Amino acid sequence: MNRFVIAEASKCIGCRTCEIACAVAHPVGSGAQALSPQTFSPRLTVVRSGSVTAPILCRHCDDAPCARACPNNAISQTGDSVQIDQSRCIGCKTCVVACPYGAMTVVSVPAQAQPGSFLTSLRPRAEARKCDLCVGRAEGPACIPACPTKALHLIDQETMAATLRRRQEQAVQNLAASVTL
Amino acid sequence: MKKVITVCPYCGSGCKINLLVKDNKVVGAEAANGVTNQGELCLKGYYGWDFLNDTKLLTPRLKRPMIRRQKGGELEAVSWDEAIEFASSRLKAIKEKYGPDSIMLTGSSRGTGNESNYVAQKFARAVIGTNNIDCCARVCHGPSVAGLMQTLGNGAMSNSIVEIEDTKCILVFGYNAADSHPIVARRLIKAKEKGAKIIVCDPRYIETARLADLFLPLKNGSNMALVNAFANVLISENLYKQDFVARYAEGFEEYKAMVAKYTPEYTAEITGLDPQLVRDAIRMYAAAPSATILWGMGVTQWGQAVDVVKGLSSLATITGNLARPNVGVGPVRGQNNVQGACDMGALPNTLPGYYYVTDAAAREKFAKAWGVPSIPAEKGYGLTDVPHKIAEGKLKANYIFGEDPLQTEPDLGMVRREFEKLELIIVQDIFMTKTAMIADVIFPATSWGEHENVFSSADRGFQRCYKAIDPPADFDVKDDWEIHSMMARAMGYPMQYNNAQEIWDELRGLCDLYTGATWDKMADLGYVQWPCPTEDHPGTPWLYEGNKFDTPSGKAQLFAAEWRAPLEKVDADYPLGLCTVREVGHYSCRSMTGNCSALQTLADEPGFVQIHPEDAKTYGVKDQALVWVSSRRGKVITRANLNDRVNKGAVYMTYQWWIGACNELTVDHLDPVSKTPEYKFSAVKVEAIADQKWAETHVQNEYGKMKADMRKAAQA
Ligand code: SF4
Ligand code: SF4
Ligand code: SF4
Repeated sequence: MNRFVIAEASKCIGCRTCEIACAVAHPVGSGAQALSPQTFSPRLTVVRSGSVTAPILCRHCDDAPCARACPNNAISQTGDSVQIDQSRCIGCKTCVVACPYGAMTVVSVPAQAQPGSFLTSLRPRAEARKCDLCVGRAEGPACIPACPTKALHLIDQETMAATLRRRQEQAVQNLAASVTL
Repeated sequence: MKKVITVCPYCGSGCKINLLVKDNKVVGAEAANGVTNQGELCLKGYYGWDFLNDTKLLTPRLKRPMIRRQKGGELEAVSWDEAIEFASSRLKAIKEKYGPDSIMLTGSSRGTGNESNYVAQKFARAVIGTNNIDCCARVCHGPSVAGLMQTLGNGAMSNSIVEIEDTKCILVFGYNAADSHPIVARRLIKAKEKGAKIIVCDPRYIETARLADLFLPLKNGSNMALVNAFANVLISENLYKQDFVARYAEGFEEYKAMVAKYTPEYTAEITGLDPQLVRDAIRMYAAAPSATILWGMGVTQWGQAVDVVKGLSSLATITGNLARPNVGVGPVRGQNNVQGACDMGALPNTLPGYYYVTDAAAREKFAKAWGVPSIPAEKGYGLTDVPHKIAEGKLKANYIFGEDPLQTEPDLGMVRREFEKLELIIVQDIFMTKTAMIADVIFPATSWGEHENVFSSADRGFQRCYKAIDPPADFDVKDDWEIHSMMARAMGYPMQYNNAQEIWDELRGLCDLYTGATWDKMADLGYVQWPCPTEDHPGTPWLYEGNKFDTPSGKAQLFAAEWRAPLEKVDADYPLGLCTVREVGHYSCRSMTGNCSALQTLADEPGFVQIHPEDAKTYGVKDQALVWVSSRRGKVITRANLNDRVNKGAVYMTYQWWIGACNELTVDHLDPVSKTPEYKFSAVKVEAIADQKWAETHVQNEYGKMKADMRKAAQA
């Protein structure tokens, strides 16, 4: 089963600390550049609608529609998550349309000189962006500890099984209490 | 890399932070395990420090003293000696010519700390000889202080932030914790998880409303009517604690008579609320074994604010929800040290430690300690009196310390016109601000992080900030208390301190409420809540032990008043009610958060006007489009945010935008007692702009020009 980060909407206060934590964990360019409104693209988006507030982000679907949709095989199942190979992304946005959660975005990133190379592309290039579970970050997902109300949780095989058990126990209690034929 | 303990310089939650420092530069912030924040921070705590590095994203830091030799001339960088000479000689001349009461001063409710506020008010009272000193409590929780001082005898939160999660019922009145104090909002969520009932009274469907068991979307400007209706139900349904009232309260008969006509049915038209909902809500509050009322600017920023505070205090009193843990009245202070500025006497009617200036014995004590023959006995001017007193020709000089009135006061056009008439404006700040742009003298100060100090959090908790870094090498800046001391000496008063602790020890020796709060007790994560009268006293998490109130009679005073409508009426020309609010990522006038790279990414000029989709339709306004908002006083450009969480007929703007500055529109109508402006209701209209391309360019040009002007002035 793929791991994923999910928000408990009842605890979210819409403060967007998680968005910044995510953006800071994924610095644009060399990493020394400060965040700017132009380059700010967190991998999760806090959505306020009607009576719900919560960040929306990639669910790392086990049968990922984005991966199926990508014409250039840029998105694939990697370990226990869904990851994007930026070198294959052509910015076609098929994945954006395919994702049922609206968790994918395509952004244009400024051109960068490759160290040690004389060839530099001056054109900005496109990148598909979504939650990568902070792969490569030793401490794991950046958003989870940053949330002041602890609304974000990492769900993996173990936590999923525990949740399932809890729900089943609840259900059986309810059965006992409510169903007599 | 070293870690330095500090307290967040933004809201009054009092979160403790570890600043990560490398080579005299702050490079990061971690949550420390403070009493109120328990190892959590919001985005401002985590990402609100890089203004220290003079990012110039919004406005540059002030590096050198500057003077403007002639009105209308350019600012000029000069030495400290010259700046002090220039300012002090002029201030002295004004004092001699027009008297000490022609000079106004401010404290600062922001990053400067308690010591600097103590010194600022000492400068006002002992050196200038005036009580004309005030801080931005005037425009925020002034009514809470004024109201609660009368009803209970203490103007602060009666109970602690940590207790909120253990109360059984929370009545949230005009208080948007999620945007104002995320770390307090966290306690509300915890309370809910522990089974507390939550009642929210707010015209908008705020985040806390999502948690609420009952949500009362009252009409803007109907607070007093609703509070009276609550009291009416408590009394008529006999839900109040007769025994508590009989033994510990006074004024019940008048109170009862005043609220008699305010049945939920009678008030329904005023509040727009179903009478049954009102009854259910107050029954829920009365039934809880412990209940807490929290309020914010939705109560205080009205022409009728002190009355409502007293009314809320009376609800807590008659239900016996005072004088024990997990209950009480909670005016949750907005700015990080607005509680502290008040504690230190940066108020026109109280000395440090809340001694009234009318108290002869207290005056004598302070006069003796400060080595002056006397301290003025008349209450001074408040912040919101300033433009009017200038107009009357009574104020000639304004020494503004760590505030930006040309961004934060109501009816900015009027304020600018009046400020122009002043003979001398001194601004002491860390940033070039709108006010600094028109100053005659600029004193650049060290910032939070560059000095040590004590802050008071919203629940009366004293905490120490350690110094993390020296100011950058090319900065010629001084600590705020040092600047005031230099001015004092130049004016012939011997004022000399070596460090913040010396000042702290002087003031706690003078204030019985703080005497036991020693420097050592506040070390590291130490938290000392006043009253703390002796060194072996642990501090006071909740007030009024033994049901003894700090009023002259020792009893709580009950109070209700007739409801008054807001001053301005909506009409055909200005059909919408503007209410000013705040948003979580930015703080106060934004000079600090606007210079933080992470925070400025979330939202930028010209800000937003929140409007209900149906109203937007009526006025032909599209989501995210630039629009004009105008009132009888001014006109600003901003971006529409169509939002079905706001009520119809009202629009909401945050006050931190410099282009979309909503205070160009607000009305200068004041509460008669606290003199707090009615920021929550001004009649406005919203107009679509056909040529959006032009509008976008216009905003960019205006914003660019403003930033360039600030930079140029700071570099003089
Ligand atoms: S940090 Fe937590 S509370 Fe804030 S928006 Fe993100 S999930 Fe919600
Ligand atoms: S897990 Fe990492 S990449 Fe995913 S949303 Fe959180 S911070 Fe962003
Ligand atoms: S702004 Fe307030 S809630 Fe946020 S970290 Fe600072 S003190 Fe805490």
